[in-house]
Amino acid sequence: MKGTAVTVFEILRFLIIHWKCDIEVSKGVLLEGQLVISIEGLNSKHQANALHCVTTIASAGSLFGGTVLKKFLKEIQSILPGISAKLTWTSEESSYSQDMTGVTPFQMIFEVDEKPRTLMTDCLVIKHILRKIIMVHPKIRFNFTVKVNGILSTEFFGVENEPTLNLWNGIALVVDSQHYASRPKFDTIESYCSRIHPVLGHPVMLFIPDDVAGMDLLGELILTPAVALCPGPKVFSNQLNSISSVSIFLYGPLGLPLILSTWEQPMTTFFKDTSSLIDWKKYHLCMVPNLDLNLDRDLLLPDVSYQVESREGDQSQNMDLQGQTLLLFLFVDFHSAFPVQQMEIWGVYALLTTHLNAILVESHSVVQDSIQFIVDQVLEQHHQAAKAQQKLQASHSVAVNSIMSILTGSTRSSFRKMCLQTLQAGDTQEFGTKLHKLFCEITQHQFLHHCSCEVKQQLILEKKDSAQSTEDTPDNSSLELLTDTSGQAENKRLKRGSPSVEDMRTLYSARAPSLSEAALGGRAPTAAPLTPSGREACETHSRALAPGRASLGNRLEDALWLQEVSNLSEWLSPSPGP
Amino acid sequence: MAFAPMGPEASFFEVLDRHRESLLAALRRGGGEPPSGGSHLASSSEVLASIENVIQDIITSLARNEAPAFMIENRSSWENIKFEDSVGLQMVSHCTTRKIKSDSPKSAQKFALILKILSMIYKLVQSNTYATKRDIYYTDSQLFGNQTVVDNIINDISCMLKVSRRSLHILSTSKGLIAGNLRYIEEDGTKVNCTCGATAVAVPSNIQGIWNLVTDAKFVLIVEKDATFQRLLDDNFCNKMSPCIMITGKGVPDLNTRLLVKKLWDTFHIPVFTLVDADPHGIEIMCIYKYGSMSMSFEAHHLTVPAIRWLGLLPSDLKRLNVPKDSLIPLTKRDQMKLDSILRRPYVTCQPFWRKEMEIMADSKMKAEIQALTFLSSDYLSRVYLPNKLKFGGWI
Repeated sequence: MKGTAVTVFEILRFLIIHWKCDIEVSKGVLLEGQLVISIEGLNSKHQANALHCVTTIASAGSLFGGTVLKKFLKEIQSILPGISAKLTWTSEESSYSQDMTGVTPFQMIFEVDEKPRTLMTDCLVIKHILRKIIMVHPKIRFNFTVKVNGILSTEFFGVENEPTLNLWNGIALVVDSQHYASRPKFDTIESYCSRIHPVLGHPVMLFIPDDVAGMDLLGELILTPAVALCPGPKVFSNQLNSISSVSIFLYGPLGLPLILSTWEQPMTTFFKDTSSLIDWKKYHLCMVPNLDLNLDRDLLLPDVSYQVESREGDQSQNMDLQGQTLLLFLFVDFHSAFPVQQMEIWGVYALLTTHLNAILVESHSVVQDSIQFIVDQVLEQHHQAAKAQQKLQASHSVAVNSIMSILTGSTRSSFRKMCLQTLQAGDTQEFGTKLHKLFCEITQHQFLHHCSCEVKQQLILEKKDSAQSTEDTPDNSSLELLTDTSGQAENKRLKRGSPSVEDMRTLYSARAPSLSEAALGGRAPTAAPLTPSGREACETHSRALAPGRASLGNRLEDALWLQEVSNLSEWLSPSPGP
Repeated sequence: MAFAPMGPEASFFEVLDRHRESLLAALRRGGGEPPSGGSHLASSSEVLASIENVIQDIITSLARNEAPAFMIENRSSWENIKFEDSVGLQMVSHCTTRKIKSDSPKSAQKFALILKILSMIYKLVQSNTYATKRDIYYTDSQLFGNQTVVDNIINDISCMLKVSRRSLHILSTSKGLIAGNLRYIEEDGTKVNCTCGATAVAVPSNIQGIWNLVTDAKFVLIVEKDATFQRLLDDNFCNKMSPCIMITGKGVPDLNTRLLVKKLWDTFHIPVFTLVDADPHGIEIMCIYKYGSMSMSFEAHHLTVPAIRWLGLLPSDLKRLNVPKDSLIPLTKRDQMKLDSILRRPYVTCQPFWRKEMEIMADSKMKAEIQALTFLSSDYLSRVYLPNKLKFGGWI
């Protein structure tokens, strides 16, 4: 018998699949709406020490039309036979019958008997599911209410006004870092950026083993990784912040959570080997699976978690527990030459849920290559930026000493007095301290301009003026525009014909070259979401076979991140020397 | 001053004397020496005050939470350089500048090094001691990286403060040599007599400090290469052509050699000639003495002698003297590029004869060293070529 959490998850998944596929939502537009989930538990009359839980899933507003609703209700009953609990649904019959094209709110109710402790766990699981959903569907809101024997608690899940990174096919990743990791305790508020800056990797096609039984897919499974450090530092300390943990988030087609968290099913064999995805030895790190995941926390719970056991060559066991978390998002999408039906997507989820391990093992090489590439770049950029910061600080130290040398050596009292007065210092020692602090502040201020959170249209402005200027962050709409613009610009350059599926397989399995040289004209290196030829291949393939289906061509480079990386070019490119 | 007359008769120098008269007449027409612009010889207190002003500006910027920056004139940019016949290459009054910011990773290091060298200059001036650029570099070679960095920053500081390098108490190492009819007293009282026969005197490092210069020389001969200079010394050229002064910068001249040539001209107004190889490199060296260099254009007034004339080796001499082809060397690609570059420079337009010589070289695609004249005889240069050139006005 399925528990409440599993049932809620499957219903939500089906709902969103149906919502996405059947509603004429144009690609790139995010799903928008509010769902209410309420659980009421009362002491069960049939089971001892159990609660009879009635779970209601309803839409606060309209989701889809009446005829679609009827079909939806029919299909959900057929695909959820495992729910032995009573499943009922209601709708506003009057509005349904009179207005076939009108939209109708709906409500689904199911009942199960559960132990109180199980219900408590299920509630925590449901919260994590909701968080995972809204992280890529930022315009969906959830109201989650639990009432147990009269005691009510309500929680709202929504990230509508938070910064997001538009991905593709109507999903967007929330980039507010507070959802992913807590700030290090020693940190000052100004040291860390409030956002993560995901770098998209090269999409790769997943191979399904021949011996995997299941539906015959009329399409391809494509995995696109994204990597980010969390929190992203604004100002780097003297030492490179170490990575202390890795969080992996799995999403399936249409941006739905792929598997439940590790407490529901054991970590797949593939992920038990921490080097399956990333060769940690390159970074002198030793990672071990972290099975101790605390459900009761507000952060987004990863599907797979690793923690640093030790650094190679580091005799000390005093690990930096306050270090950064490497976030790895694995988005598995389904692409077909034909219009994809809801049941097909449901089947893909079933396949992935059951055979994820086998599929990842079969595709290990290409998956690892794609992820390793962007992890290398993210960490390298981080390292280079830290080095640049160290260089800046060393320069300022020389500047401060030189000024102090002149000040203390001057025999002109008016000059000395004027200097002290300007910085409101009582003596030369205080003056030196203030001088040092002021130089540090301008360094931080300078780095703020390179942080994507503080920049608006930086890419354009930097070409005009090498001097930094403070500007606001672009809103998401302009980000989308930039994304689309860059994509269109990319499309215009494409001239190749439509390749075969085999060609696509070859393209996807190739290591991603530096798209930055193509996209940015040889500026800062960045991870390529897709090579120009690969994107072209996908686009022409999709255009030729399924004009209506969102193609990999929409999986465009993150224009905002490319802007940020181009801003970082100043930090990363070698100095010509004084 | 009385020297033992070993040179030719007085009539030998008739053309030279007439040339000198024309130069003096031109000077009088031009109103004497052009006013000195750019950097000047500042007093110690002026230099200290200038540096303190720089520091004050930096601190004021910091107090306003603004990142301080230096505005440095683009010394080596053609757009900031103009040509004046009387001076040569010099910086324009309103130059383009570049910003050396303290908060930019690319320029922060240079910003710091400028301050570092300013603090060192401050101490040198305060203590009235001097150091060479090399000394500066070795105070912290790891910090500076290489000598060129130090050299450029010192020039930038000189340009920024509008103060000559000498006033910054930074000396350049002299490599030039001088010989002939000249004596002077150095700042520390040392008496120097350049009439030494087979040996030459090193160009002093403190040109501004030398005084009581005395000479009867009819001309100054600038020799490009040390090898040619030594050859002339060996051939006793200074005595044969006495009274005269010979000087070499051993290739591209250092600042002190140029300053000395300038000082000789300013003091005596005697004709100055160059003896360079008939190749683009030699012509460029000659242009440095005459018109100045781009990098030091901010100090042009102290360094250039526009009155310099090209004595030899002229490309037209090669044909005239029937120098055999196997003594000639084909121009390399680099030579051709340099020749093209010189031909495009603004000062060549007012030197039609120079232009013509360069065109002869470009057309023939051949160059020659002065040593090519040895095909006629080993002492042809000092015995025939130069005396004839000087006697009959073979300069352009």
